[in-house]
Amino acid sequence: MTVTFDTYVPGSSLLHRLDPRAKLWATLLSLMAVFLLPNVGAQLLFLAGIHLVLLASGVPWRTLWGLWRQMAILVILIMVLQPFLRPIGREVFSLGPLHLTTGGMLDAVRLALRALAIAFAVATLLYTTSQPALVSAMVRLGLPYTWGLTVSLALRFLPAIQDLFHTVRDAQAARGWIAEGSIFRRLQEHVPILVAVMIGTLRMSDQLTLALAARGLETSRRRTTWHALHMRRRDWAFALGITLAFCLFAWWQLRS
Amino acid sequence: MISAQDITFSYASRQADERPKAVLTDCSLNLGPSQALAVMGPTGAGKSTLSYVLAGLAPRHTGGTLLGSVAIAGHDLRDGPPAIGSVGVLFQDAATQLFNTTVEDEVAWGLEAMGLAPHEIGQRVEVSLAHFELTAVRQRAPWALSGGQQKRLALAALWTMRPGVLILDEPLGGLDPEGCAEVLAAVDTLREAGTTLLIMTLQPEMARQAGALALLADGHLSSAMPVTAWLEQEVALAESGLLLPTRLWPDLSPRVAVDHRDPAIEVQGLRFRYPGGTEVLHGIDLTIPRGQFVALVGRNGAGKSTLVRHLNGLLRPSSGAVSVMGRPLAGRAAGTVAGHVGFLFQRPEQQLFSATVRDEIAYGPARLGLSDVAARVDNVLARFGLENVADVPPALLGYGAQRTVTLAVLAALATPIVVLDEPTVGLDGRGLGQLLAWVAELREQGVTIVLVTHDLGLAARADRVITLDNGAITSDDTPAEAHGGSA
Repeated sequence: MTVTFDTYVPGSSLLHRLDPRAKLWATLLSLMAVFLLPNVGAQLLFLAGIHLVLLASGVPWRTLWGLWRQMAILVILIMVLQPFLRPIGREVFSLGPLHLTTGGMLDAVRLALRALAIAFAVATLLYTTSQPALVSAMVRLGLPYTWGLTVSLALRFLPAIQDLFHTVRDAQAARGWIAEGSIFRRLQEHVPILVAVMIGTLRMSDQLTLALAARGLETSRRRTTWHALHMRRRDWAFALGITLAFCLFAWWQLRS
Repeated sequence: MISAQDITFSYASRQADERPKAVLTDCSLNLGPSQALAVMGPTGAGKSTLSYVLAGLAPRHTGGTLLGSVAIAGHDLRDGPPAIGSVGVLFQDAATQLFNTTVEDEVAWGLEAMGLAPHEIGQRVEVSLAHFELTAVRQRAPWALSGGQQKRLALAALWTMRPGVLILDEPLGGLDPEGCAEVLAAVDTLREAGTTLLIMTLQPEMARQAGALALLADGHLSSAMPVTAWLEQEVALAESGLLLPTRLWPDLSPRVAVDHRDPAIEVQGLRFRYPGGTEVLHGIDLTIPRGQFVALVGRNGAGKSTLVRHLNGLLRPSSGAVSVMGRPLAGRAAGTVAGHVGFLFQRPEQQLFSATVRDEIAYGPARLGLSDVAARVDNVLARFGLENVADVPPALLGYGAQRTVTLAVLAALATPIVVLDEPTVGLDGRGLGQLLAWVAELREQGVTIVLVTHDLGLAARADRVITLDNGAITSDDTPAEAHGGSA
């Protein structure tokens, strides 16, 4: 199966319809807010809030659960390693140089929740904004068009290269290829596949060069955008609201 | 609209001491508005290169040297690339020229590059989508479309820029009959709109539609002539390696009695779904006796490729069982079945990876631990006439020679069962003759053959024709002529 790098969940909720620039700004502010959350309770509240917003915007539970599963390894690593890196507070258990403490465990929980909050804040942007919209937002914010194009081409061709990899691997399995033995041995077995994939990728990029030239990438004098971005009143109100909320929260957190 | 005088083109040579070989020699061509010309030529004759030169892409983006003059709509290409949107080119593999995330963005991209106002882009996108019947899939990703839809999308994205000249490279390549009909209809509408059409093709029906025909052989382009005159000269077309008339096909009838007691392949209650997807195969039961030649036909997406991928263990049934040569496949790695089932994939030329043709052919027998690898390789090199390129990297060979290597690779394995998935796609007459001659040999040896094809004429030569539709077998017939053995 092909892994697609397009995480967009099509929909028409308020969040979907907002200008991507307003959403980029909101994501930036929420990332800063994540670092100001004072305690575990606030972190949980923040996460719960994002879940509610996403569900209300039509992102299904399955998608959210998928993100939880993707984050699981990182969360488990943090929970297992972090307590021993910062042994503060009352000691619960100790083995040689390793000390498990209440403070260390609380610290790990905080760090894990922070990682989750960051992931969900970024996912909120990606789930509700299509790639072309995101790219044109970045271009409108000053990124050169060719950079934006490069980003979308990479996202387009990663799955194509992955498909090529599967095709070549199947073809070689049909000629007696089996990967077994030690990891080193298995990596070695993959060399012929990678050679064929590399040749195929080079051919693809040659064709892409021609395709872009044939439709006027270099002869284009002045590009226009079909879906030109417009900051409407709603978008300004959203950006202003989220900025005010952030300032209030930051002032309240930092005043002491 | 197109005016080319005495063009000679060669790519840069790979080695410094090697003289560059001319791909095109002294080609001249003149086409006015709403004229159409089909350029037919065997594999490797330079059709793709000619289309790149006339579109102003070669040598600008490919390297190489061009002599002579080309003018498109009065613009001399020596003065720079053609004006944006003045000439469109449909690549042989349309999928490689689609690079946007949705169908409608694909159509809009060129219009944005032209700098049109947003409302005009919107109007033109609507018109093009409707024109090429893509409105229903406008939000889909281009790479999730069928082959026919991809070609139509590439055409829509070109046509919407209103080019005076359109160059189409093998517009029917790799399409099922339905996809061919779709593209032929689309080409018709382009002609009616007054576009100058230049069509590189191997297909007589495409040439017939263009009306006029020029022949490209070894880089030399003949002058244009009416299509009927040429197609009547079947013998000349066969001699140039372009076509293989059916009456020149080798005898593919069975030579060895089919053994009905001992099946080569047994499929029982096979159901299959991709992880997280819907069911693709809905309970297939199929027994293929040893030595039988079975053709598997059906529309794109019917599940043909999915079914045959179960025959060598590349895919595992969700439920049901598959046995090959009397042994169940369950629990065996695909690589261990390779000694029993040889498999020719679609686009086989993409799967070549070795440093030399000899290594490429030796790879399979060596993986299977066969004792006589060197002798097998020598035999196969001689059989397919590959001795003089035995030490050349297969990636550097021409397309036709690469296809020959893929047959040689399969022949060296000498398996009792051979699965051929769309083996005739992209083959000229010479390539088809080579494939059929080999199939005739397999029949003599009593090899069991499973052929997936859209070519109903070829399917009719099999002992048995199975039609697959929507993941189920809808008919299982024996063509009239195969009744009662070698008729």
